[in-house]
Amino acid sequence: MHNLRAFFRRFRVFLLFVLLQVFALSNYFTSLNFPRSQYLTTASSIAGSFLSIEFEITKHWNLGTNNEKLQKENIRLRKKMPNSFIRLNNGIVKINDTLYKQQYEYIPSIVINSTFDKRNNYFTLNSGSSQGIKRGMGVFSDKGIVGVIHNVSENYSVVKSVLTSDINLDVMIESSGAFGLLKWNGINSRIGSIDGISNDIKIKKWSKVVTRGGSGIFPRGLMVGKIKKLGSVEGKPLWDVSIVYSEDYRKIQNVYIVKNLMQEEQNKLEDKIPEDKEE
Amino acid sequence: MKIVIVHTLRFLFFVLAQSLIFNQLEVGFGIHPMIYPLFIVLLPFEINTLLLLLIALITGLCIDSLSNTYGLHTSSLLVVAYLRPIIFKIFAPRDGYDANKEGSISEMGQRWFIYVFGILLLIHHFWFFMLEMFKWNEILLILKKTILSLPISYLLCVLLQVVFVSKPKER
Repeated sequence: MHNLRAFFRRFRVFLLFVLLQVFALSNYFTSLNFPRSQYLTTASSIAGSFLSIEFEITKHWNLGTNNEKLQKENIRLRKKMPNSFIRLNNGIVKINDTLYKQQYEYIPSIVINSTFDKRNNYFTLNSGSSQGIKRGMGVFSDKGIVGVIHNVSENYSVVKSVLTSDINLDVMIESSGAFGLLKWNGINSRIGSIDGISNDIKIKKWSKVVTRGGSGIFPRGLMVGKIKKLGSVEGKPLWDVSIVYSEDYRKIQNVYIVKNLMQEEQNKLEDKIPEDKEE
Repeated sequence: MKIVIVHTLRFLFFVLAQSLIFNQLEVGFGIHPMIYPLFIVLLPFEINTLLLLLIALITGLCIDSLSNTYGLHTSSLLVVAYLRPIIFKIFAPRDGYDANKEGSISEMGQRWFIYVFGILLLIHHFWFFMLEMFKWNEILLILKKTILSLPISYLLCVLLQVVFVSKPKER
């Protein structure tokens, strides 16, 4: 007993160090995949309000370019409005569309904090559960996809952006339909890669890469980027595809959050698939 | 009492400056300036190591919660706090540390500061980037980030001391 007490006294600094280190590291590694709480992220109200103040100060720096972007999008959308079309056929009256049903809704939001040159980059948005945002929803901007909601508090939310190591969104090449998983290697914030495309599929350079819409996080066909370089993975029959993101994540400010009205239905159906049993 | 207030103010300054200014500076080339290890080095010489570790924990958690790193800064800062007494002992002046002084350039001299702070900052940066990448085949990138960020962080810390910490002395 005496020896034990002496041992603890002798190594108490080291023991405390190890204890705290274990706490910090376990928090870090579990949060990369599944956040345990919102209190130690920018989704917490204290950190969120600090960042809101900072955003209020710095938001004007990119005001010009952001206005221009929104204006362009407005023009594009305005073109699609009914009053910008001439009616060609007066005989058709639209009553209740039973062929199409709304599947996706969009919630606008603003990025109040973002980084782009860390290994894992998270963006903070200024809207949260009170606006109907839930964990796992997709986020995109007018130019391309941004990421997936990782953590939500009442008024803020944290996005796990495509600039993280294990984002693994399913994307496809628009022309051929070949699909793979989106990855990021952590070096250049403009360049990502696609994993898992078999090398017997012909791929052209500069063809468009869009979302596949398989998991219901994003609607099908949202822009991701363009193929920049093709190579082969050593020892595997796979292409090594690098793509240039269509969105510049260094200047991102206005984003939309995807709300899939049929997500529950899809999940319910997919839960019925029997899982492979490992023996 | 005065010393507690001084260090509390410094704590606020370092946490806010790091998370709101230096974490947002995206210089490119993987440079990520980190100044908060200076806060740990500037704490009084006589401080208990257990207390030092707890202060490092709190500082790290505050910075982490403001920059979405989930414990990365905490872990690196704990390493600095744990090694501080050891490094201080190695580079101790011949007649020991003066309890009235603190570990700044103006009080301990350029030479002492380069060795002590340089080594602690190197270990901190290497630990930080190693955990951030966490892959051995990216060791070159880890080294590149460490080597490029280290001088920037060091210079920033020296500048901060010239501007804020040093007081005019009459001797």
